[in-house]
Amino acid sequence: MDLEYTPEEQRFRDELRTVFYEKVPAEIRERVVRGQISREDIVASQRILHEHGLAVPHWPTQWGGKKWTATQQNIYASELQRAAVPTPLAFNVSMVGPIIAEFGSQEQKEKFLPATANLDIWWSQGFSEPEAGSDLAGLKTTAIRDGDEYVINGQKTWTTLGQYGDWMFLLARTNPGAERKQQGISFILVDMKTPGIERRPIKLIDGSVEVNEFFFDDVRVPVSNLVGEENKGWTYAKFLLGNERNGIAQVGTSQRVFAELVDAAKETDVEEGTLADDPDFRSRLHTAKMRLLALEATQLRVAGASADGKPDPASSLLKLEGTRLLQSLTALRLDAGGTDSVLVGDTEGTDGTPVGLSSEHAASTAALQYLNMRKLSIFGGSNEIQRGVIAKAVLGL
Amino acid sequence: MDLTLNEDQEAFAESIDDALARKYTAEFRGKAAASDVGWDEKLFSTLAEIGASALTIDEEHDGLDAGAGEVYAALYALGQNAAIEPFLDGVYLPSWLLSASGSAPDEVLSALAAGEAIAAVAHSEPGRVWDAAPATTATGDGSKVTLSGTKTAVAHADQAKWLLVTASGDAGFGVYLVNGDAEGITRTDGRTADWTRVSRVTFEGTPATLLGSAGDQGRRAFDAAVARARIAVLAEAVGLMDRASKVTVDYLKSRKQFGVTLSTFQALVHRAADLYAEVELARSVALWATASLERDAQTDDTDVDATADDAFVYIAQAARVVAEEVVQLHGGIGMTFETPISHYAARLTSIEQSYGGVAAARRRVLKSGSPLTAPTVVRS
Ligand SMILES: Cc1cc2nc3c(=O)[nH]c(=O)nc-3n(C[C@H](O)[C@H](O)[C@H](O)COP(=O)(O)OP(=O)(O)OC[C@H]3O[C@@H](n4cnc5c(N)ncnc54)[C@H](O)[C@@H]3O)c2cc1C
Repeated sequence: MDLEYTPEEQRFRDELRTVFYEKVPAEIRERVVRGQISREDIVASQRILHEHGLAVPHWPTQWGGKKWTATQQNIYASELQRAAVPTPLAFNVSMVGPIIAEFGSQEQKEKFLPATANLDIWWSQGFSEPEAGSDLAGLKTTAIRDGDEYVINGQKTWTTLGQYGDWMFLLARTNPGAERKQQGISFILVDMKTPGIERRPIKLIDGSVEVNEFFFDDVRVPVSNLVGEENKGWTYAKFLLGNERNGIAQVGTSQRVFAELVDAAKETDVEEGTLADDPDFRSRLHTAKMRLLALEATQLRVAGASADGKPDPASSLLKLEGTRLLQSLTALRLDAGGTDSVLVGDTEGTDGTPVGLSSEHAASTAALQYLNMRKLSIFGGSNEIQRGVIAKAVLGL
Repeated sequence: MDLTLNEDQEAFAESIDDALARKYTAEFRGKAAASDVGWDEKLFSTLAEIGASALTIDEEHDGLDAGAGEVYAALYALGQNAAIEPFLDGVYLPSWLLSASGSAPDEVLSALAAGEAIAAVAHSEPGRVWDAAPATTATGDGSKVTLSGTKTAVAHADQAKWLLVTASGDAGFGVYLVNGDAEGITRTDGRTADWTRVSRVTFEGTPATLLGSAGDQGRRAFDAAVARARIAVLAEAVGLMDRASKVTVDYLKSRKQFGVTLSTFQALVHRAADLYAEVELARSVALWATASLERDAQTDDTDVDATADDAFVYIAQAARVVAEEVVQLHGGIGMTFETPISHYAARLTSIEQSYGGVAAARRRVLKSGSPLTAPTVVRS
């Protein structure tokens, strides 16, 4: 056993830190901490990372990938999160990019991959529908072939940051008559400027608008926008959802939030001393700390195991515990702030975000962040779905 | 960066598991616990031959001078079988105390290494928390020290050839070596909830020898040895949790109610998934603590006591969840002495309260800076 990185791994980490802390502007990272990140921040930071070869490390080397070991990928995700660098847009780098690189045509690769890596194209994920959430294969949107075009009709929902989307990758039924519902689904790329697409923003629990609904009414896209083979979309989607788990434990983010929480506790006066002296709060902090340590150690064990080519049965465990831990940290922050924490701060955000009371106090917006973070256990395969995966794939139940 | 046992350690754990797995049914454990000595002597010898008793003792005394990883492997395998053979409390902890003192008679360590005898550590006292100064007194000095006082929950005192007794003397805290059959000892034997043999031991003018030095330094050495034991017992806890949750998963697959197996009910399946998460996360913490110890052995720069308390508090929580869940998921049969599950749950419950217990560990943690320091697995 060994608790240290090898000298090469240490050097690797130090190089990453130089880019994360010195090249990505401090203002952007501060806005990440405050939960006020904008589209421009995400684009700017991804381009800086890409310039240093750090936006798409897990892609094939031909398209900018790095052939890192599992441990290196781990260091990357943790350090990026800890530095509060905006995560490269997952829809681009973790989802559609690897799919196009693996299953796309040469023409698609050349057209999309460089632009996707550099965030010249902003992708949206069009999978979920009102009737198809956890049971994604129940989707109803159709893409019916008409000459060398598909005609798309239906509705997509929960599209994260779809208001910025230049293109959408979506799943649609190309063969509505297929026997099993997993069959007859295709993976199609859609230019969002195509006529017939209508967007409706969905205001969330915290007042923000980060998800949208899209209505498709006879939207015509060229057949050349089909990725891979017709009716094989389910296979590609599963490949993609596997990639989505990358960095899912959010260890670096939780480490950062934990440190912020301690700072806030030290600055909050209570009857005697500060909140950092309060036995109950200390106890809750310690519980969170040890859960975080357990999570990090588990992630490192899993990374070690998958390095010698073994499958990674614990990724669902990382999603499950990683999300509930981060959620509980935001709950601690909420409790620490008390009444102050339900203030809305002075965030003036994207369309529809309320402009609230100005407060300089650190607790301000804690409730909004807490409420927003409830999403973590719902998307990316809800935590109940993860329990199902563990039971089936790991325990054989 | 590596948080896994190496191949030799894995093989060692497997050889212990092999020796136990064919034998260690609930019935066997029950009989062993009720026997004259309180465990199975033949199995103890077999395990000693594999090297289990020699791990923590230096080569000079015919030991293997092995590290924390080997101790983890041994206790993990013992835990997997809920074995009650007294390696931790009868051999490892005494050997750590004896080695730390630097003044132990050679024959004691050699006998422990060979598996010929065990020793018992007598520290707990009735109505006193673990961290308090002992009420047991040591009078006199040089070779003529005598002890007076009462110790409780002394594991395996009935079979111990030597007792290592803590007491307060003129120079403060000290650990004293006492022969098991010395004069002035009165013993009342009993058991703990997990069927481990323990005794209340009263000393009245019992002759004793101070080990090492008395005072703050002596207390620190004692605390450090106990911290090692706190970490070691976590490996046993993880072994118990691992096997108990696997047995429970198997039970869900085979037990039928309402005409179907229990595994048909998603509420139960999801609880099994949460159990798996508890065990894997606890395993990570136990491995981290063990790796910290191994590192300390080389660099001497971290605080073993703090690591032990942090890890103990976390794993005690997991141990309770797992113990309660495996019994519940078994239904009525889980409550019976005949099922292995009840033995696993009972042992986990005792582990939570070992060496002063989880509430005391939590109190120490809360008084320290630990809650406010960010966690790190990787040191640099
Ligand atoms: C903020 C946010 C952003 C999102 N972004 C996107 C996006 O960009 N693109 C996209 O395509 N989708 C996106 N989603 C959709 C997300 O993937 C779905 O919400 C998710 O798959 C759950 O589906 P659902 O909401 O229909 O809930 P349901 O599937 O209806 O689930 C309701 C409840 O039942 C539980 N449940 C469901 N099935 C089972 C089962 N078999 N066993 C036990 N419990 C079960 C769930 O865990 C949940 O608690 C986003 C969602 C949110 C909240």
